[in-house]
Amino acid sequence: MRNKSDVLSGCMLITLGIAVVTGSVRLRVGSPLEPLSGFFPLLGGLLLIVLSFLLVIRGWMGGGRPNQPLGELRMVAILGACLAVYVAVLESLGYVISTLLITAVILRIMGATSWRVLGLGSVVLSVGAYALFHWLLGVELPAGLLPFFD
Amino acid sequence: MDFLANLHDGFAVALTPWNLVYAFIGAFIGTAIGVLPGLGPATTIALLLPVSYGMDPTSAFIMLAGVYYGAMYGGSTTSILLNIPGEASSVVTCLDGYQMARQGRAGPALGISAIGSFLGGTASILLMSLVAPSLAKFALDFGPVEYASLILVGLLMAVYLAGDDILKGLLMMTLGMLLGTMGLDPTHGVPRFTFGVSRLMDGVNFVVVAMGLFGLSEVFVNLGVRDVRDVFRTSLKGLLPDRGDWKVCWAPVLRGSLLGFVIGVLPGGGSIISSFMAYAIEKKISKTPERFGNGAIEGVASPESANNAASTSSFIPLLTLGIPGNSAIAMIFVALMIHGIQPGPLLLKEHPMLFWGVIASMYIGNVMLIGLNLPLIGFWVRLLKVPYHYLAAVIVVICMIGAYSLRNTAFDVGLLMLFGMLGYFLRKGRFPFAPLVLALILGQRLELAFQQSLTLSGADLWIFIEKPISATLLAIAVLVMLIPLFKWGWKKRPHAPAAS
Repeated sequence: MRNKSDVLSGCMLITLGIAVVTGSVRLRVGSPLEPLSGFFPLLGGLLLIVLSFLLVIRGWMGGGRPNQPLGELRMVAILGACLAVYVAVLESLGYVISTLLITAVILRIMGATSWRVLGLGSVVLSVGAYALFHWLLGVELPAGLLPFFD
Repeated sequence: MDFLANLHDGFAVALTPWNLVYAFIGAFIGTAIGVLPGLGPATTIALLLPVSYGMDPTSAFIMLAGVYYGAMYGGSTTSILLNIPGEASSVVTCLDGYQMARQGRAGPALGISAIGSFLGGTASILLMSLVAPSLAKFALDFGPVEYASLILVGLLMAVYLAGDDILKGLLMMTLGMLLGTMGLDPTHGVPRFTFGVSRLMDGVNFVVVAMGLFGLSEVFVNLGVRDVRDVFRTSLKGLLPDRGDWKVCWAPVLRGSLLGFVIGVLPGGGSIISSFMAYAIEKKISKTPERFGNGAIEGVASPESANNAASTSSFIPLLTLGIPGNSAIAMIFVALMIHGIQPGPLLLKEHPMLFWGVIASMYIGNVMLIGLNLPLIGFWVRLLKVPYHYLAAVIVVICMIGAYSLRNTAFDVGLLMLFGMLGYFLRKGRFPFAPLVLALILGQRLELAFQQSLTLSGADLWIFIEKPISATLLAIAVLVMLIPLFKWGWKKRPHAPAAS
């Protein structure tokens, strides 16, 4: 039986390898005895293509260990989207508000159902982390809408 | 007697109140993550990197090292009581440890595991104190030619020993090297693969990659996983093994410690392989191999001694050659680099107090760990009942803060998210992370050493063969690559026994 995920991974990596080789050639490669900026990436890109091709052949012939099922892809997409929104609003809303919201979302996605856990948990985690990193360790975090947390 | 004088100075550093506190924090966190299945030392050290920014480098190193060797202690508790290894290196402890617990001997199993870990760890520190300075002195003679060959053999051995799929390991190594080429070319100053983004001029920050692959992907992988942990109820009385147990165990502890020390030094070796090998050897030489798997105490003692000895000795290549042998040590490498300290042969010369302070702290940390593990077993078991959603939220928040604090920009948080998603798919596809992170760190150095070698030799590639150390290392690299082919040929020979 074909190992479809290995075949797919191999094809994606071959594409990446081709892109790297193209980019390396544009950088100027030089020669093995006088390598320029593109030389090392070119070697890496070629190696990536060869190894990925071997992965595709192996997967096509049914070799290699079966991969794990992808599982909750919908949940992965939801969490990924929430994190993307977090990245977008982090600097404008500030650390405390955006982290409080993302923490509540994560607690909910990971299975917490009680409002007390969601509310109290997100406040304690976000403000607690702020206290540890900003007040104790001096890490700069964006204040955003709450100048008190500057 | 230089060794004793240096160690004395090291203890003067390690015994300062703050360093004792950091050694304790490291050992405590290490035991906790060792107990909790899924969260390994590499992930935890990656998460602690932002915490270490504001610390004194010696204290940071002491704490992070404590996390690493502390995890080896904690991992056995869940193996014995739940049949769930808290750490990959404790998988083999399940075989006999859990059987002992079922037979009402959980106490001696936990006791010999902690004592064996202590003895293995301490023996390894002692050997490291003796061996590391000589190796560092030897490595001072290394030039770029030797370094290029050493990095190559280190990476290939890490691929060979880190996982069972060498092809995927090589792919990850190549990917790591390519990631390392992003940013300004160190020799010619030309931007490579920056796509016009000025924030990529410095390349992809290793901390972001490590926290994404190890930390954030952990949360993605656990989405939708039902969080059920049933703790096996058994008597924990009589934690100390009796005289009969000791009679059986002293030799396996000794063998495990020595084996663990040797394997730990190899790049990619580390605690997992050493524990499996120690178990296999004990079973092979036992007069009653049928007892193994049914509650043989030496099946717990030897692997536990071996994995602790290996976790300690895996610091040797880092401290003396500047080559991290596994992912967790790679994180410590980065922590040192963040503090402007270059791990390698000059470390002992330039930062002797750090070098000997960390070694001395390992002696102290091992004593702390035995005190933390045996009396607090009830606490560690209760820790398993903390719901995973809290842990997930903590991981995400720490990762986000860590990424943001690198350059005070949300751009790095975005990169972290991308590497978290990538880590999820790589985990599902069984692609090993260790070769990628090692190649990301060492790839740039390999390129630089290669170019310096060519400059030195007047663009003559034969220099890699003419220098004896380099030639030996390259021969080892070739051998490492040929071993899988030999294995394949051996399996394919006529009348080969079917693989079990």
